[in-house]
Amino acid sequence: MTHDATVETSSNTAMTVRPKSSSLLGAWWGPAVWISATGVFAGTRASDIAGRETFFNVAQPWVVYVFLAGLVGLLTFGFVRHASLWMIGRPTDGILKEIPARLRNVGRYGAGQDKVRRDRYAGIMHWCISSSIIVLTVVTAQVALQDDTPLNFLHGNYYLFFSFYGDLFGLIGLIGVGMALYRRYFASHHRIRWDERVEDHLIIVGLGLILVTGFVVESARIIETELVQHPDWAKWSFVSWVLAQGIDSFGFSVSSPENPQSEILALHTWSWWVHVVLAFSWLGLIVFTRLDHLIFAPINAFFLRTDAPGRLAEIKDIEEQEVFGVGHVQDFTWKQLFELDACVRCGRCTEVCPANISGQPLSPMHLIQDLKGHLADVGPDIQMHRHATGDAGREVSPIAMVGDVIKDETLWACRTCGACVQECPVLIEHVPTIVDMRRFLVMNEARLPANAQAALENIEMRGHPWRGTALERTTWMEGLGEVTIFDGTQDYLYWVGCSGSLVERNLPITQSVFKLLRESGASFGVMGQEETCNGDPARRLGNEYLFQILAQQLIETFNSKNVQKVITNCPHCFNTFKNEYPQFDGNFEVLHHTEFLAGALEDGRLKPKYAVTSDVTYHDSCYLGRMNGTYDAPRQIIEMVPGANLVEMQRNLSRGLCCGAGGGNMWQEEIGERRVNHVRTEEAVSTGADQVISNCPFCIQMFEDGVPSIQPEEEGRIKPFDVAELLEAAVFGPKTDSNPTED
Amino acid sequence: MHLVVCAKQIPDPDTPPSAFKIDEATNSVVPAPGISPILSQFDGIAAEAALRIKESQGDDSKVTVISMGADSARAAIKQVLAMGADEGVLLNDDAFEGGDSYTTAKVLAAAINHLGDVDAVFCGRQAADWDMGQVGLLLSEELNWASAIIAKGVEYGDGNISVQRVLTDGFETVSTQLPAVVTVSNEFGEPRYPKLPQIMAAAKKTVTQFGASDLGLDPSDVGASGSRLKVERLYIPETDSNVEFMEGDTPQEQAAALVQKLQADKLI
Repeated sequence: MTHDATVETSSNTAMTVRPKSSSLLGAWWGPAVWISATGVFAGTRASDIAGRETFFNVAQPWVVYVFLAGLVGLLTFGFVRHASLWMIGRPTDGILKEIPARLRNVGRYGAGQDKVRRDRYAGIMHWCISSSIIVLTVVTAQVALQDDTPLNFLHGNYYLFFSFYGDLFGLIGLIGVGMALYRRYFASHHRIRWDERVEDHLIIVGLGLILVTGFVVESARIIETELVQHPDWAKWSFVSWVLAQGIDSFGFSVSSPENPQSEILALHTWSWWVHVVLAFSWLGLIVFTRLDHLIFAPINAFFLRTDAPGRLAEIKDIEEQEVFGVGHVQDFTWKQLFELDACVRCGRCTEVCPANISGQPLSPMHLIQDLKGHLADVGPDIQMHRHATGDAGREVSPIAMVGDVIKDETLWACRTCGACVQECPVLIEHVPTIVDMRRFLVMNEARLPANAQAALENIEMRGHPWRGTALERTTWMEGLGEVTIFDGTQDYLYWVGCSGSLVERNLPITQSVFKLLRESGASFGVMGQEETCNGDPARRLGNEYLFQILAQQLIETFNSKNVQKVITNCPHCFNTFKNEYPQFDGNFEVLHHTEFLAGALEDGRLKPKYAVTSDVTYHDSCYLGRMNGTYDAPRQIIEMVPGANLVEMQRNLSRGLCCGAGGGNMWQEEIGERRVNHVRTEEAVSTGADQVISNCPFCIQMFEDGVPSIQPEEEGRIKPFDVAELLEAAVFGPKTDSNPTED
Repeated sequence: MHLVVCAKQIPDPDTPPSAFKIDEATNSVVPAPGISPILSQFDGIAAEAALRIKESQGDDSKVTVISMGADSARAAIKQVLAMGADEGVLLNDDAFEGGDSYTTAKVLAAAINHLGDVDAVFCGRQAADWDMGQVGLLLSEELNWASAIIAKGVEYGDGNISVQRVLTDGFETVSTQLPAVVTVSNEFGEPRYPKLPQIMAAAKKTVTQFGASDLGLDPSDVGASGSRLKVERLYIPETDSNVEFMEGDTPQEQAAALVQKLQADKLI
């Protein structure tokens, strides 16, 4: 960090990476406007006689209805079969509350495909395919209505427009299929092939054939009825019109009064049958393949949680439970079981999973698929057992779900960082499912890594997870002058947290925040010796019981001290107070220090006067960023530090990569090829920045640990700092002897 | 089979040095504010050893945990109950206070005799506060039982107990008929993490309490009045260190300077 005592104008680059807001219509509004305009244009162009005989040349069009009935029967059968498996799960609380928010989610994530578009190529591809299927289904339904009901609307302007958009979406579908074929067969090492099955080929090749045969059918009809007779109508079916001319150029015979059985008519008949049989067979795949996401994905969007993503469900009446956590598939909620069926094996979760990126034994996609397979294996037997005996049937499965199907080390590798949940296009929530199984391991089986056990025991015995620390909760106060102990007369409680007070590296951060709060004139106090773990590590490690005890005790303490507003040092404490304490009637206004400091800067209570000329990169902690959506406040602070130039990492904002410490992994030995913090440190180093700035004591520790491994030479190492430390340098200037607590 | 685990509650050895205070007037440790006493770690390991034998012997075996101490020692007893012990006994009496290893062994022996049907006693190799490591041996003397101390492995079969002992230069295996006293060392392995159902069952269990009269002990034989050991002075030793950097342009010169310095100080 270099300091200039002169004030410089900030040379920060403007933020260009904020998450985009999403409109309800998502992927649809652009094409919708465009197509409507074409419709209006069509209205100005043609005479009212344009039209055609629907089901032209097909002798038994009623067969379609037989197929349709078969399909409906099949879908019903499939749905009942799936539903009977979901229903072995426990009840899901609150699924019918907040209906408007849930419907918005269906619009945004179902129709709008908001998550699908996070991968641009896949977003375009998927929109092409899905819109084509939807529009062409509507096109087909219109043909049926025209033909089999008294309605008569497929003529004139509308017929031409209908011909146009039918062809347009056929073409769009083919483009989508082309993109999909490229990804599946030509792109190297693509995530969609991590768990490839026969059905994947059937789905995409089948869809391509349906679209192609559809065009062939239409082309044959156009050759027979429009190419010569009404070329100005034919042009509206612009794809088939071109194809028709191509086919016609081979000189196949066309029907005439003398030759009623022409080659083109035979082509039409055959391609029509192939098209129809393929289309219904393909739709039948919904029952047997991942094509079921057509139905399940929008429904799962409805089931998506409406509360904070950083909140884990509480086990109510924990002392009354027969089994703690989920060790048997029937102990999941039915919503968790439903989710398994929505998975399309796209691999996005696994692609962003910090454990997987580092070669550690967790792939969220495979975890979900393994659970799905296990449910299919043992679900029917559990169901029968329940009918016969009425008991929970936990002995039915011949193998242990937790241990055999899902390995212990898989569950421990999770950072609860939420990257998988963030990316999942069908809204699966992997993290609560993983933590539920951890709960079983810890509380029911007492099977956990030695270091995690030591951390939990330390929390139980000493109220903090830092075994062997030589520091006290008041050590950081030395040299700071008077430190007010919170007694209810101050506005804010500054919550330092265990890491902020008991880990050497974090003391300067705690002191920076303290000095900045004091400088801002805020009325605040601290709890000093009375602080104790708020339970976050216990909850994430799966000891819900310990968490609940700690949370209830601390809420009592807060209430007895009349705490109303809390400023936390650590995003984990922040998330727990903000999102989880309300589960136990602990309602406090909670701010992370970056939020408070950004506010104080904005209204001038803090003034950065000294330049810190430095290239800095910023690491989004998972629990401030992804879990709580605070991406801007820390960046605003960095922007307001004169001389600091922010260089973003490739993975940032909601795509930020975990430091590796989340989910209790601070206290575990990592198993696998690499350590997550080494991967993330490498990413920070590759920006060329002098400092990596974060907002979380765990992230800072992980960087401190990672940097010497990635940059063995001490010279020119990137330096990890908290946002508050950076701001402190800008507000108070270079550290001198008059500030003895700073090093 | 009836096994007894002796458990002691001690001031937390992880107390930060700055919070560790001694009252030199009374020669006693001042409890650090906000830091709860804990179960001596070696006793947790002793409990693990006893529980493994219990589990290998089936349902008619039981483990009783005994602690001599203040009322707060119930927490240590509950901890061992949560690990899977069946019954808890607290030996609490003003007369027991201020004793030494000898009086402690005497009280524990009286309690074990009072229980009557005990086959083996497991203690930690030493308490992690005073680190004297005597109670186990003295207890076996009081009971007139065999003893095997500082165990890293314990096996039981046909009335015999086989103990793998840690020596300064290796291991030895000894075996004896029961009853016997075994003290268990950290080489044995980590104590188990309690399962929640057991924690909740332990919370509901009542801890039996005995005083001197219940055990037929004369108050003058135990505690401070029976103690043979007198603490003359308890203090935190002052430590001092000086660091001097060896000057020199090259590592060779620095090494030469270091040798000179060490020789001058008659250290080499």
